Amino acid sequence: MEKIERDSLEVDVLFVGAGPASLAGALRLRQIINEHNETAGEHGRKKLEEITIAVIEKGREIGSHIISGAVMDLRPLEELLPNFRELGAPLDSEVTEEDVSYLTRHFKIKSPIIPPPLNNHGKYVVSLNKLIRWLGPIVEESDVMLLPEFPGAELLYDGDRVIGVRTGDRGIGRDGERKENYAPGADIFARVTVIGEGSRGSLTKKLVEKLNLDHDRNPQVYAAGVKEIWELPSGRVKPGFIMHTLGYPLPNDTFGGGFVYGMKNDLLDVGLIVGLDYQDPFTDPHRLFQEFKQHPAIAKMLEGGKMLHYGAKTIPEGGLFSQPKYYGDGFLIIGDSASFLNSQKLKGIHMAMKSGMLAAETIYEALVADQFDEQQLSRFEAMIEDSYIHKELYQVRNFHQAFRNGRRWGLIEAGLQYATGGFGLFGDLKTEAGHEKMKKLHVFNRLPRTSGDVPQLEPVKYDNKLTFDKVTDVYRSGTEHNEDQPSHLKVLDFNICIKRCTFEYGNPCQYFCPAAVYEAEEVNGGRRPKINFSNCVHCKTCDIMDPYQIIDWVTPEGGGGPNYINL
Amino acid sequence: MKIIVCLKQVPKNDSILRINEQGNWIQDRDLTYEINESDAYGLEAALQLKEKHGGEVIALSLGPPRVQTVIKEALARGADRGLHLEDTVFDGLDAFGIASVIAAAAKAEGFDLLLTGLQSDDYGFAQTGVIAAELLGLPHATIVMDVESKEGTIRVKRELESGFFQWVSMPAPAVLTIQSGINTLRYATLKGIMAAKKKEIKKLDAAAVGVDQASLAPKMAFRRVYLPQKSKQTQFIEGTPAEIASKLMDKLKNEARVF
Repeated sequence: MEKIERDSLEVDVLFVGAGPASLAGALRLRQIINEHNETAGEHGRKKLEEITIAVIEKGREIGSHIISGAVMDLRPLEELLPNFRELGAPLDSEVTEEDVSYLTRHFKIKSPIIPPPLNNHGKYVVSLNKLIRWLGPIVEESDVMLLPEFPGAELLYDGDRVIGVRTGDRGIGRDGERKENYAPGADIFARVTVIGEGSRGSLTKKLVEKLNLDHDRNPQVYAAGVKEIWELPSGRVKPGFIMHTLGYPLPNDTFGGGFVYGMKNDLLDVGLIVGLDYQDPFTDPHRLFQEFKQHPAIAKMLEGGKMLHYGAKTIPEGGLFSQPKYYGDGFLIIGDSASFLNSQKLKGIHMAMKSGMLAAETIYEALVADQFDEQQLSRFEAMIEDSYIHKELYQVRNFHQAFRNGRRWGLIEAGLQYATGGFGLFGDLKTEAGHEKMKKLHVFNRLPRTSGDVPQLEPVKYDNKLTFDKVTDVYRSGTEHNEDQPSHLKVLDFNICIKRCTFEYGNPCQYFCPAAVYEAEEVNGGRRPKINFSNCVHCKTCDIMDPYQIIDWVTPEGGGGPNYINL
Repeated sequence: MKIIVCLKQVPKNDSILRINEQGNWIQDRDLTYEINESDAYGLEAALQLKEKHGGEVIALSLGPPRVQTVIKEALARGADRGLHLEDTVFDGLDAFGIASVIAAAAKAEGFDLLLTGLQSDDYGFAQTGVIAAELLGLPHATIVMDVESKEGTIRVKRELESGFFQWVSMPAPAVLTIQSGINTLRYATLKGIMAAKKKEIKKLDAAAVGVDQASLAPKMAFRRVYLPQKSKQTQFIEGTPAEIASKLMDKLKNEARVF
């Protein structure tokens, strides 16, 4: 085989994925190194000279793939940049009014009190996307190399030791052949590789598998969040108003709920979270979200408005017991990739940032010791366990598991957990991977009546005012991929789709994907998905929820994906 | 060969557009930006010429600090240095004003070829390159699809209507406006990005370029910008293929009257 000439680069610390975890981590590391060097003389210590820190990112710009709810706990930001207000942090609005409601098909029943875990007093409604677009240049100015359009395609190893990342090749055609502008991926070698890819990271998945990092842990469970940003007639939106809902349109056995957040400039955030451990294979988070908007209480809020942006993302909500071992020879895992997320409040930004900052402290010690092996980096775990984020994770360690038997029991059990510091009735609970909970069609009486009659969900008509089909929504996510490249969604065996999935589960990929990537095509009496990969908003739902686990999400050509704004 | 490539930073074409309060342009809230499409092909053409004939490629952009992103991207792809024309005096110029500034800066720099894109994705005037050529008293060619250079003569392939082309020759220095899609854009490599950090971006304001506000006064103004009104309607014809065909023929004959 012909040898490929690759660019290579050596750095000291490489962060993968420019989200809140990595950016906070990279900036904190630079700050600590600077502090160290300022006082090194006084203490007779050696300076840390010319430490290079790089962050690679698959998006076209820093921030273009960033999406979150979001109501944010500002603690880590206050620690990282105490003058964040003077620096113009785009925080939008402090929470001023809260509403927690239960929705039935036609009515909204407002909870007379805000349950303590849902109290967001003092927190801020933010657009995480805006916050990251703001934070990027600050991090870059502190002498951190930011490399957008460079996805981490594979980890580089020396035995079991992570030694860096190979970025994705570019200029490969849909037929797999090299084009005129073929540019092979670069090898970036680092003394420590910090993986902050977000939910269901494609490198994290392979690393966890290879090194068995989830041994003795619960499998990770996820939820899919879909949301839109609406612009309403002037004066209608109350900035800082937040509403969380349970109930309609989710069936009792499906975890999740809706949210509505008021922002400045007449913008309203509307979204729905759907647990990716549902049972009915015809569950369609995007469709449920359209139903959510049609609820009289929500539809009234949106009346006369215009939908501006759309996005979708998965959320790791397995909590403490689903965390993989997040350190090892040459690597650390931070943020959503390591499940640093409060599954009860569905808040992870502060944990992501804090985990990145503690990773920075760990790496600083490693740089001083000039040791990057597992033992040295295990300091990360000790630091996490001493921090407020661990305390928070511990309190809600059984929250998601409480909903294993549906919403009604879940609420009762979660209440008991709250009263007992997280212990609940049954102590620490096991869980199973979400895709294993999906039940076959016959359970829902959805078997084909005659041979060749393949069950399928009836399509619905959307009015393009309040409700939109997936393709229209995807357009509003600004998603773009170079069409002339191989699909980055690898279906490992189409025979399973045609021969088994069609009849056992009804090809659920066409439903769970919130971006119309998977389109069912009739082949030999069964169906297989036609993969419109260029629609992909990088939410990873397919990689998670496919019942046979034959969909592998890999990074597409750098720069491809959504172009999120305000989300 | 010394080539100056003009690169304009324009809003990405899927941006949410909001008309400003004066009603004469769009707001810059929520916009994200990119290199004007045909300018990117101009840059690639310049880089290919440099690979063939040697010399230097200078990436020039006019605009606020954010346009440095575009210059940096060009440097990462292989341009040798950057020129950033930045001054509040340059805000809100028309094509004549912009061309005047570019012409003055390019003249001071000296060049064999000045390349621009065919037209900008936001204004779509297709004038900047042509006016700059006139101001500089140089030959120019528009809608250029291929460029050859031989002993001080530039030979270009121009696109005409209906799939016809024209080859024209002119002496260098000259100004060319480049058509989109004429070559395959290269990617910025990691090596290129690292090298770009060491490349110079020279900033020039109005005084440094030697232009004054009075000479740049716009000769053209936007009176009103509005969203296009939807006036077309799609009709679906149903039936068997034969029925559809005959209904369609009927409509084409009697409603659209194209036959």
